[in-house]
Amino acid sequence: MVSAAITVPATLASIALIDAALAGFRAATGRNGRIRKHGYYLAAIRRGLIAGTAVLTCLALVLTIVLATAPDPSTRYTDLTHAGITMLWIIGPYTAIALASLAGYAVLPRRPATFLILLGLGPLTLIRPLVTIAAGLAAASTAPNPPTAACAILAATSVLTVEPWLHQRWYTKPA
Amino acid sequence: MPIVEISDLIVRHDTATGARLPVRRDDVVSVLHAAGDWRGARIAASLPHHNGVLDESAVGRLLVRTHTELQRLNEELRIAEQLAEVLGPLLAAVVRDGERPRVVDVGCGIGYAIRWLAVTGILGDVELCGVDVNAALVAEANRLAVAEGLSCQFVHGDAFALPSAATVYISTGLLHHLHDGDLGAFFRAQADSGAQAYCHFDIAATRLAPLGAWMFHRARMREPLGRHDGVASARRAHTDHELLTAARSAPDLMPLLYRPLRHSNPFCASVRPILGIRPSTSRHCEPRSANPRVT
Repeated sequence: MVSAAITVPATLASIALIDAALAGFRAATGRNGRIRKHGYYLAAIRRGLIAGTAVLTCLALVLTIVLATAPDPSTRYTDLTHAGITMLWIIGPYTAIALASLAGYAVLPRRPATFLILLGLGPLTLIRPLVTIAAGLAAASTAPNPPTAACAILAATSVLTVEPWLHQRWYTKPA
Repeated sequence: MPIVEISDLIVRHDTATGARLPVRRDDVVSVLHAAGDWRGARIAASLPHHNGVLDESAVGRLLVRTHTELQRLNEELRIAEQLAEVLGPLLAAVVRDGERPRVVDVGCGIGYAIRWLAVTGILGDVELCGVDVNAALVAEANRLAVAEGLSCQFVHGDAFALPSAATVYISTGLLHHLHDGDLGAFFRAQADSGAQAYCHFDIAATRLAPLGAWMFHRARMREPLGRHDGVASARRAHTDHELLTAARSAPDLMPLLYRPLRHSNPFCASVRPILGIRPSTSRHCEPRSANPRVT
């Protein structure tokens, strides 16, 4: 059985990458009036994934430093894992609902699909920053030490920087 | 208190010539203040100007950006697909032998509906044309059509003064821009043009519409003007009664309004079409959907 020490960071990293890919898509939306935009959106998703990977790499670097400088790296790793679990309690259900809505939109006929947009994907996009911040704050408030709390806040806020950065870098002007 | 949209105030045209007229920024701000719309007034006050007159090209670019964002919303809600679903049977009913139907989109903006129909070819051999009084939007529609090599045309001017008559007039999100008093003339112009039918999609005037519009424009659009006008659109949407009353003033085209059934999901009734069809051809028309009630 795989331990939480592996599954928690792996799950959080996977969610962050999916979020980054969708952030790339969102950053590009509303900026290209063409009808056929598959290539345009694929490029945007690729940019999101690259930016998300860069953010995760930076986070991994910070976490490595935090672990390396800890008096007891093993205990610090456990603290970080617990913080990650707290984040997953909030982000996990949100991610599951968002992915189910996306899958429904992709495969369902038009009427139920647009219903999903109105009831699911629109509101979910609106509350995404709030959910992310709430997850970071919840993990920070229950963390046993400041470095772990700071890592939780940093992880949450860095995820939120991907979309604005991508938009600013590539999509400020209409295509 | 009247509900106004900034985009309706920042562009003015000479009704006789169609030429663009200068618009004073202070006048726009005053109208919005008078309507009690402080947020709208703040947005209008930030628009670029030269000596108090709104910068035409900047306004044009702003409207193109706003319409491009609006297109993204329409794509997500599959508005063009809904239009095609109704338009297909309607065209089949009104087309006469050997006649190539001509679909004209009134107030086409950047031409999303027409370009989508051209790309998909879903209506078969149909002449597709979009018309708008805003030259900047028409230029963008043409640019996009050329970029994708589409077989459709976009014209700057009056949709009811074209050299060739339309078989069917369509629109998406136009009706709420017309004042109650102008709706009747709009429907009569279509009847007088000789068109066989019309199909106009617009926001349904429900209690949920402003809330839904706020949420979606907030989530999907970045331009403050677009977010503001999106909610104003939903708040000023015509009721079914207003639409039908106006449409009945043009009896040559018998009006039909799709209404959701009593217990239908209100979220799915956000946009709905009003159809008009010449009584002589209506007997050939067989609505495909089992869901809507037709009034």
